[in-house]
Formats: sequence, structure tokens, C-alpha cells
Amino acid sequence: MDRFDAVIVGGGSAGLAALMELSKLGIQAVLLESGKPIGSKSVTGGILYSKNYPNGKVYNVEDIYPDFLDEAPVERRITRYYLNALSGSKVYTVDLSEAHEYRTNFAYSVLMSRLNKWFAARAEEEAAKMGGGIIEGVHVRDIVWMDDGRGSRNSIIVTDELEEFGARAIIAADGVNSEVALISNARGKFEPEALYQGVKCIVRLPEDVMDERFNISSDEGVAHLFAGDISKGHNGGGFLYTNRDTLSVGLVYHLDSLLKSPIEPYNLLNEFLTIPVVTNYIVDEVAVPKELDRTLPKEEQLRIRFGLSRLLKQYEELRYTYYSKHARLDAIRRGLYSNEDEIKTRLEEVRGRLEREYGVTFAKNYVEMEYSCKLVPDGKRAMMGKPYKNNILFIGDAAGKGIFLGTRIEGINIGIDDAARAARAVAMAKKMNNFSEDYMGRYYTQLVEESPYTDDIRRIDFEYMKIFVRACGNIPLEPFPLFLRLAFMLIQKTAVQELAAAIARMMAQSTLLKIIESNDAYVRIPMEVARKVGSEVKPIAEVRPLSIDERIARLKIREDEVPHIRIKDPRSRFIKAMVHLCPTRCYMMEASEEMEGKEEVGKGEGVKTEARLKAVVSNVILQHEGCIECGTCSGETEWRHTRGEKGIVYEYG
Amino acid sequence: MDDDDGEGVINAAVMVKLEPDLSEGNVSYNPDGTLNRSQTKNILGPHSAIACRAAMYAKVCYDAWVGACSMGPPTAEIALKDAMVICCADELHLYSDRIFAGADTLATAETIKHGIMKMGRRIDLVFSGHRAVDGETGQTGPQTAWKLGFNFIGNVIEYSIDLRSRMINARRKVDLPGLYTIIEDVECPLPALIALDPSYRDNYRKVSERLRYARLEKEARKRAEDYKSYLRIWSAKDLGVDVRYIGLAGSPTIVYKVEKIPKAKASRRAKVVDPNNVEELREIGNLILNIALGER
Ligand SMILES: Cc1cc2nc3c(=O)[nH]c(=O)nc-3n(C[C@H](O)[C@H](O)[C@H](O)COP(=O)(O)OP(=O)(O)OC[C@H]3O[C@@H](n4cnc5c(N)ncnc54)[C@H](O)[C@@H]3O)c2cc1C
Ligand code: SF4
Repeated sequence: MDRFDAVIVGGGSAGLAALMELSKLGIQAVLLESGKPIGSKSVTGGILYSKNYPNGKVYNVEDIYPDFLDEAPVERRITRYYLNALSGSKVYTVDLSEAHEYRTNFAYSVLMSRLNKWFAARAEEEAAKMGGGIIEGVHVRDIVWMDDGRGSRNSIIVTDELEEFGARAIIAADGVNSEVALISNARGKFEPEALYQGVKCIVRLPEDVMDERFNISSDEGVAHLFAGDISKGHNGGGFLYTNRDTLSVGLVYHLDSLLKSPIEPYNLLNEFLTIPVVTNYIVDEVAVPKELDRTLPKEEQLRIRFGLSRLLKQYEELRYTYYSKHARLDAIRRGLYSNEDEIKTRLEEVRGRLEREYGVTFAKNYVEMEYSCKLVPDGKRAMMGKPYKNNILFIGDAAGKGIFLGTRIEGINIGIDDAARAARAVAMAKKMNNFSEDYMGRYYTQLVEESPYTDDIRRIDFEYMKIFVRACGNIPLEPFPLFLRLAFMLIQKTAVQELAAAIARMMAQSTLLKIIESNDAYVRIPMEVARKVGSEVKPIAEVRPLSIDERIARLKIREDEVPHIRIKDPRSRFIKAMVHLCPTRCYMMEASEEMEGKEEVGKGEGVKTEARLKAVVSNVILQHEGCIECGTCSGETEWRHTRGEKGIVYEYG
Repeated sequence: MDDDDGEGVINAAVMVKLEPDLSEGNVSYNPDGTLNRSQTKNILGPHSAIACRAAMYAKVCYDAWVGACSMGPPTAEIALKDAMVICCADELHLYSDRIFAGADTLATAETIKHGIMKMGRRIDLVFSGHRAVDGETGQTGPQTAWKLGFNFIGNVIEYSIDLRSRMINARRKVDLPGLYTIIEDVECPLPALIALDPSYRDNYRKVSERLRYARLEKEARKRAEDYKSYLRIWSAKDLGVDVRYIGLAGSPTIVYKVEKIPKAKASRRAKVVDPNNVEELREIGNLILNIALGER
């Protein structure tokens, strides 16, 4: 049987960093990822931070991958950060760039699927030097421990695809819906209070249009957060980040809040896209083909359809080349065009042909590329106190990590920090030849406790709060509840800031959280602020969001014939909520008749016995084929990821 | 990892063939009906590619040394390069000499036998394809085995080697036309030559195998960029073959006439289907289903 010093389950940003670090430390490590290619199951918002703390070191992405800043396929360097309070078409914008810069070395918008592929290439190269590597398309199904007769326990990894093999240390980096955590009994499932549901779409926008619209240079990027009446009263908010030539637009909601009054995430997303301020950011010019004349001979209809789709593709390519500085230069460098004017002429030519030959018109709409959804652990409630079990160390989302508090959204960077610490713990365990819970597990916990992130997750950072409040300095205080009004007033006065912070520090963390994460803070206050002092935004166009069916049709899902989710109780409140909350509508309500007893009907020879209808009950049924493995329904189901290579394949993530 | 006891214990050879790329449909014929090889794009034959995959399996799982060989014109080095990408060959041998021209399968087997004997090490296992796409030359493999005095197993879909007892275990698929297909498990001692069935699948079920495969795949691409430094071209003299047994002279069978069987004329009925018409699509779906179920 094969046996390895370290086996990493899950090839997200955390697992890949662990592989890289273990390999650098001279350990032979193997990473198993169920998606193929790697990155195909990754989703983030997302902004990747590199941070610094006065009270200790954090391991940043550039520490793990030394050529990160020169080579990594990141999108834009986020230099401006805004919070938008919304009410109808009114918006009040607060500049939080200073808060964003707080303890930040740099921050980049990223597309996780793409970036993880780059991380994987680097990590694999490093791992190969030690005889390790990455195996894609393998789903870990079980882990078995056996006493080796000499006082320690061997662990055996069971997968759907490979022969069993042994591992001395296991790093669980299998994400928020960690199966390893449940297999090993390291923790129970995360409670809804400790989870968010994130739903997102990628919107395409030519680079130059983006630069102009957001008033940025081509290397800069902007982040917008949104709060107020976008949530139908649920606790949560929206985001919109600029990538190179796409936008990441989405919403994040407390799962418990969604469970209380379930609402379809795709409908929420669609309402978000049609809020004027958001619409104005995403809108673009799109070609609208003319309705095909059905009376034409079929051959002619086909000819038109093929001709049109070819020309439309050309048009798209030309347009994105022409309106993107990078693509334009690249196309000229590769000799496709001799200069910019030639691209422009070609573009106008194709556009003219589309209009003349095919009756195409051009209208304002938006171009959606990919829809995605995933749970996010809320670190302050989900973080594992004991992030280990037997010879397993938990990192990243699997360990419930993440700082999600108000306008702070960080997960990737924290998982990477965990990864570096776990790798060091494994290296030490190997040196001491002791992979036990008591040694390796505790040593890892100690290293994690030393991480400034751990404290940051547990406690509200009042320095950050002060910056936040200062940024809100101009907001009139009348809409606030009395308590908050007082707090704000105090904190706005620099002289008493320290005092106010001290008072806040004395309050129990849970009391403070109740205030910060209250419905007032998420919804009512932003709405009031926008209503009272916001400015009216007129939509420059109307967009037509995709329907959920159109979205699903565009997703690449490799169907797994074997169901990976089983409903436990088809009538529970939770499972009924899934009919609304599943992002790809895998759950459906089915009415069935419940019969009872037998009754004689008819007379004489025609007597028949019939069952009597007792009740019409509604059961929930699941069609797993469209599942994108977000985990929303995992709370009360038997839930696993699909087998290796199966299921969702995200391109952007 | 416990799979690497005894390095280089198995020496393997894979025989490959340069063939016209029939998949592209750009085949051209001479006026006499034979293939116009200069006009047709040539690649590594698909069956040879399968043999290479089996050779890679030996490399991954048994740390085999692999030599790839081919008899053909100088341009056949492209087939060897392609082979190298698939099996990460350690050496490439091309048997190329005017005198080899016109060889039938027996004469080809004679040349390859000498080539394999001259690889400079004791060869334990030879892989060959099922047949070639440009000629029913499926007997080259068995004939080479016979000439080398090796055991032969054909139609292999899976195999393993017991390094200690030096036995090869193979699973072969035997189609009994009109009846059924049987799967046979056979074993024989090395040295042996195995011909791979088109349905051969390599199945790397161990982590160590997957890792080695990934590593060798990379290595193979690197080697192939510099394939010429792995390549040796042999003339008849270099091989020391008896000219009576090779080329046209050594070929008991002579192709004296080639006739193309004309394709049945326009036997296809084409119908344009509207992709929006559900009825028509359903009809097609049923048709495909019927064909798939063999109820045409
Ligand atoms: C909408 C949204 C917005 C976000 N915004 C931000 C942001 O702006 N900034 C930020 O820093 N963070 C953000 N986050 C959080 C961040 O994306 C995550 O913290 C991070 O991606 C987690 O990385 P990970 O490696 O721990 O887990 P994942 O990326 O989830 O990786 C887990 C991997 O394990 C694999 N796997 C799971 N089970 C198995 C198994 N049994 N066998 C084999 N493989 C398995 C999966 O296929 C997956 O690839 C956001 C998250 C969401 C959903
Ligand atoms: S069925 Fe799949 S997509 Fe739907 S909620 Fe469950 S995990 Fe998410």
C-alpha cells in the first residue's frame, strides 16, 4: 500500500498553499482534489488581501508564492472601497478606502478558479521535487484509523477512484462543507447562525469601458459594497468588484435569516442587478438579433442562423479587443492587426454587416457569464476551537475560518495563513516522529493561536471600527437608534474615541455583535440614511436579468448518476425552505395523497373497497442533477460532494 | 511507496508505425490506386498510440525501460516523436533503408526482430498495436513474436506483471461475431509480445502511479522537444540483417493489384432538422436510440 507523510484533502486556495509550504519544508505531500481541472469547484467574491499586524506575523500569499506579484493572474489592484446605502433609487456612498487600507499591504480582485490553477501549477512543481504532487478528480470518501500495534494509529484514506493508501498526517482543506470534519467527528455541521449563503454572477464589461465608468486607470480596481433595501429585510448585503474585463456582482446573507423567511437567491440577485446604481455599473451594449422569419424555407433559416452566429462571434471578439487596452496591444503584437485603426475599421464593418444583412439592432443590457453560489463560514461563530482530530489538521473554510463582519470580508488570506502553520506543524511532527493529536494537533493549535488573525476573528477590532465611524462622519445621526446615535456621537469626537472604545471593549462580544449584525444595521439604518441624505440615481438603461433556467443552461455540470445528497425528512421545515433557497432549484414540492382505512362502496355485486383519502401532504423531492454543491441544504441532509470529476465545473469561480 | 523494488527490471520495446491520418479525410491516392503517401498527412497510427499507452503503463508501474521502434521512411521519425510523448521512451530506433521498401508483414517482422535484438539490452516485453489503419497488417505483431521466440498474447485490454516470477497476466477481449464477447484472463512467462486491443484502458489506481504518471508525462513532453538526441537510425547493414529475408525480396506475399471498393453511392439520406422543432428532435433521438440499441 502507498503511504505518504502528508495528504491534503481539497485543492482550494488553502490546500494548495499547504502543498506548497509542505514541499518547501521538504515533506513529500500529496493533494487530492475532487474537481477536474483544479479550480473547477472554487468560488469566491472576491478580494485577496495581503496583511500586516503589529502583534505578529501572518503568512501572506506572496510569502507562499514568491513570484506572486509578478506572475499571478490576478485581476485588478483594489485601491478604492465604498459602502453604498440604498433605498429605492436613492444611494448614499461612504468612502471606506482608508478602512480597506487598514493593515493591508495590497489587495487584488481575483477569479478563484483561474487563480487556483496558477497556484496549483506552482505547488505541483514544488511538490514534485519531494516526490509529491496533485491528483485531480479524486473524491475522498472515508478515513479509517487502525492501531499499528505499537501504540500509534495509522490512517487509511478511502476514495471513490483510487486504491486505499496510508497517510501519516492529513490536512483537511476541503472547504466549508468539509466531509473530513464529519467523517472524523472533529466537529458537527456548522449551524445556520454560523453560515452565510453567497450568490454571485460574473458580468462581462470591456476593459476600457470599465476604466472610464469607474474612473480608474487600467491597473486599478474598485470595490463597492451595498446595504439597505436590497435584501427584502434579510440580514446581508451586496458587492460589486471590478476585475480586468469582468465584474463580480453578488450578495451574501446570513443563512439563519434566510431560513426564517426563505427567498430565492436568484430572485434576490436579479432585483439587485436592476437597482439603478447597480444597473448603471453593469450595463453594456449588446447585439439583439432579429426574430427569425419562420415562413422561410428551413434551409434558409439554418443558413441565416449559422451565418449570424458566426458574425456575432466575430463582432464580440473584435469589440472586446478594441475596447481593451491589453487585448488591443496583444492582438497587434501577435500580428493579427497592424494598428488600432484597423481593428476599429473591422469592427465597424462587421457591425454594419450585422445591421444590414441580418437586421441586428444594438441595445443596452448586460452580459452575464457565470452564476455561482457557495456557503461561507462566519469565523466568529464557526471557527473550530480545536482545529484537529487524530492526525488531521483543519485549515481554511474547513476549519470555519473567515472574518466577515460588516464591511470586512476576508477568507482566502486566512486559509493561506492556516496552511503555512499546518505545514510547519506537520514538519515538526515528522522531525519528532509524532503525528499524534496530543503532539501535532496541539502544536498546530498553538501556532494558530499565535496568528494575529485568530484574535481578529474572535474580537471586534476597535481600531478598524474607529476608522469606519470616521468615514461615516458626515452621516446625519437622526435615523439611528438612540444607543447607536450616542455611540457614534462619542466616537466621532476624537477626544473621547479612546473612552468610547474602552466602553465598547467592556461590553460582552455577543452584545456588540447583536448591535453590529442587527437588522437595523443591515437594513433599516442604511435605508434611512439613503432616504434622508442619499442622492437619486437615474438608470441609464434597463437590463433584463437571466432567468434561473437560462443560468443553469449555461453552467457546465457533469452529471453524477450516483446521488450525493439524501433527504432525511421530506417534510421538515428546513427541507421545505430549500425549495426556495437552493440556488439551482434542485428541490421541489410534491403533493401526494395519504390514504387510510378501507371503505365499501357500491351495492350488491358491484361492491368495491376503496381507500379513503386521509390528507393531501406535501413532500419535498430532490433532483440532484443540477446541484452546484453550494452546501445550503447540507444542514439536514446526508450530504457529500459529487464523486471525482463530476458535478459543477466553474470557469471563473 | 512500496512499488519500486528492483529498478529497470523490465526492458520493453514498443513497435509503432507511421500512418496516414485518415481521420482528417485528406487522404490522396495514386493513379494505380495505392495511397499517395507524399500527399497524405502522416501521424503515429492510432493503434500504435494505444501500444504506447501500454508501454507507458509498464514505465509507470514497473519502472520499465522503454525503447520505441519503427520501420519506415526517414519521415517516420515523426511517429517516434509522437510515441515518445505518449510513452516517455528512453530511446527511439528507426529502421530506415531503401532495401526495406516493399516489405510485407513477415519481412517487416524480420527487420523489427533484428532491431529489438540490437537494442543493447535483453528485451522482456514488446508491445504492438492491434493493426494499422492503412493495411490489414495485424499479423506483424504475432510474426515478430514468433521470430523472436517470444510468447504472444493478442487483444489485450489490461495487463499486469509479476516481477518476481516474471510472469505477465493479461486480460484479453475476444469477440465472437454474432455470438458474444468473452473476457479471458491468461498468463505466460516473459519474454512476451502483447498486441493491444483498441479498447485497452490504462487504469492507474494507486496514488504513486498517478504521481509517477504525471511526472513522466511532463518528462515525455520535455524529451520529445529534443527527440533527435534520443533517435538512432539503422540501415540494413547496421542491423546485420540477411537481405534475403527483408524488403521486397523477403516478402512471400506480393500485392500485385490494388482495387478500391467504391463506396456505395450516395446511400445517405440527409434531412435538415430544425433545432427548434421538438417533434423532429424527438424523432432523431428515437433514431439514435434505436441504432444504439441495435434495432435499426
Ligand atoms: C460569495 C463569496 C464571496 C467571498 N468573498 C471573499 C472575499 O472577497 N475575500 C476573501 O478573502 N474571501 C472571500 N470569500 C471566502 C473565500 O472564498 C473562502 O474563504 C476560500 O475560497 C476558501 O478556500 P478553501 O481552500 O478553504 O476552501 P475551498 O476553496 O472551498 O476549497 C475546498 C476544495 O476541496 C475540494 N473538496 C471538498 N471535499 C473534498 C473531498 N472529500 N475530496 C476531495 N476534494 C474535496 C473541493 O472541490 C474544493 O476545491 C468569499 C466566499 C464566497 C462564497
Ligand atoms: S442541492 Fe446542491 S445546489 Fe441545491 S442547495 Fe443543495 S448543495 Fe446547494
